Amino acid sequence: MPLHDTRYQHWEGDHLGIWNRRLVIASNGIRGCLQTKGVWQMVVMCWVVALAMAGALFIVGQLLVADSVVVQWAGNLNPQLQTIVRMLTTWLGEHPEISVRTTQNLLFHYFCIYLMPVSIFILGVAMPLLITRDLASNAIIVYSSKALNRGDYLAGKFSMAFGLLTLTWLGPVCAAWFTGNLLAPDWRFFWHSRAALGHALIYGVTSMAVLSLLAMGVSATSTKEKSTPAFWFIWWIIGGVIAPIASHTQPWLRHLSFNYNLNQIALAVFKPGQDLKTAQDNIPMLGNMLRNIRPETMTALNTPAIWGALFALVIMGGAAGFIISKRVKPE
Amino acid sequence: MKMLPPLVIETQALSKVSGEQRALDKVDLQVCPGAIGLLGPNGAGKSTFMKCLLQLQPISSGSAKLLGREVGTEGREIRKRVGYTPEQDCHIPGMVGCEYVTYCAQLSGLPFQAARQRAHEMLDFVGMGQERYRKIDTYSTGMRQRLKLAQAIVHDPEIVFLDEPTNGLDPKGRTQILELVHSLWRDYGITVVLSSHLLNDVDRICEQIIIIARGRVLVHDRLENLKARKRGSAEVVIADRHRDLQAACARENWPCELLPNGHLKVEHKAESLNPLLRLLHNLKLAPLEIIPSPNALEETFIQALELSHAAA
Repeated sequence: MPLHDTRYQHWEGDHLGIWNRRLVIASNGIRGCLQTKGVWQMVVMCWVVALAMAGALFIVGQLLVADSVVVQWAGNLNPQLQTIVRMLTTWLGEHPEISVRTTQNLLFHYFCIYLMPVSIFILGVAMPLLITRDLASNAIIVYSSKALNRGDYLAGKFSMAFGLLTLTWLGPVCAAWFTGNLLAPDWRFFWHSRAALGHALIYGVTSMAVLSLLAMGVSATSTKEKSTPAFWFIWWIIGGVIAPIASHTQPWLRHLSFNYNLNQIALAVFKPGQDLKTAQDNIPMLGNMLRNIRPETMTALNTPAIWGALFALVIMGGAAGFIISKRVKPE
Repeated sequence: MKMLPPLVIETQALSKVSGEQRALDKVDLQVCPGAIGLLGPNGAGKSTFMKCLLQLQPISSGSAKLLGREVGTEGREIRKRVGYTPEQDCHIPGMVGCEYVTYCAQLSGLPFQAARQRAHEMLDFVGMGQERYRKIDTYSTGMRQRLKLAQAIVHDPEIVFLDEPTNGLDPKGRTQILELVHSLWRDYGITVVLSSHLLNDVDRICEQIIIIARGRVLVHDRLENLKARKRGSAEVVIADRHRDLQAACARENWPCELLPNGHLKVEHKAESLNPLLRLLHNLKLAPLEIIPSPNALEETFIQALELSHAAA
């Protein structure tokens, strides 16, 4: 016999708003994903890399200060290395704004590009928890019978994907920028590196939104928990293989890869080609090193296929939206 | 002057067309709070009616109000005050019972602490013990039905729609679930709309009955009224002397018909069987069996079944 009152009790209290209910869907999904050991390890890895990035920014910052810790370390290691570092410091010191801006912009470009595959992988692992499982178990009916509508459900699921990507992508990027500049020798680093952060935010948020939408679309294609991740990974891998081959044969085929399209957007946002040119023109030692870059690489960096990429992503997003609208219904 | 209770369900010419099939055909209803039985054979339109009210399916034409609010424009607000247990399983795989009910409460807008507390209270109410800490995937049919009921009432709704809540249950489980459902209205004032194709389930706990067949409402009345409405006829089973009884009935001006199964159907036009028994006594006829005519509830339900069979 129960020791407490098991009769029905009425509840009197204020209901939370609609955004709270959407966040409940998102947080529940993220929590579910993090219960998978692999996902948890990936998230930790992203933050460790962010720490390494902050360390790199610290070193770059120290290079701009005469007799800094880095110069002393270099001297302890090798007197010749110390001379090179001193030369570099002198050159960098003459153009602090360009040095900080250019270096951080380039670093954040590669950091973002590096984190993207990890995020795509995590979305693949999270795929069943997005929509697939709800379709398979008729859970959509439960969501639809609560104080939510289809838009709320989709907003919650989108926030879930976006939240996961924030943990593995935008979060580490912002943390690396903040920590790296906090350790810099001068507060002005925050100001000089604003472009790098701005580019990372523009690119990160855009890519995360696109990837979240595409992942939802793929997740809604089937009720089988193995099919949707498989479809996602196959699309990603085949797209990655086709893109470089198609460059020499049918260039439009490259746009079938969402990865390629996002990389083109990264090139258009970060403009690394321009940074390299600035470095070549203003920092002689670095410039000499960068002159070895192949012309076709420089051309690719300077002229991203941005319109093709945007068009392809709009088409992909539209297709994902169409699939979602057709598949995600209470009945 | 007696105040009428506010209507919980109001529909005007509510229709739902799916392809060429008319799942609901101009349904006009005005339903007061209570324990309401939605009765009809499979495919009659009971589930569609519920789903249209909950906006799980779009209405083709007509209008509907639930708890005084317009379905279609205030769906989210309506569903905040409504609970629903679908006919099919609809849990989220991988979740444990109490986690699932807590989640459902949060989806209805309860803060986490309140949601967790309510979830445990409702699981106690539906009689789930330690199994609430097990994954739902491992639950039996009975446990799943209880869990569905718990998630439907966890946010303290004013009205609960239960779609075939006794499906797949053994007689004991069926009795327990029906008793729980009955107590929701009887003891706690929560209006219950119970959809079932089983007359017995509805008869046991509901005060108002709506019988649907082929998307049309055949009858909507209080249970006691339906039971009281009898046509005053009976089937008499006798071994011989059929002609004697027919002649006696003719003298009383009671239509009497010999059925193909040998029974005599006598329309005695009275509420009780007493006049017929008196007549048989006078004729010194000992009947083998007297089958009273079905009441309006049974009769309409049979009519609904026949309609649906005819459609099939």
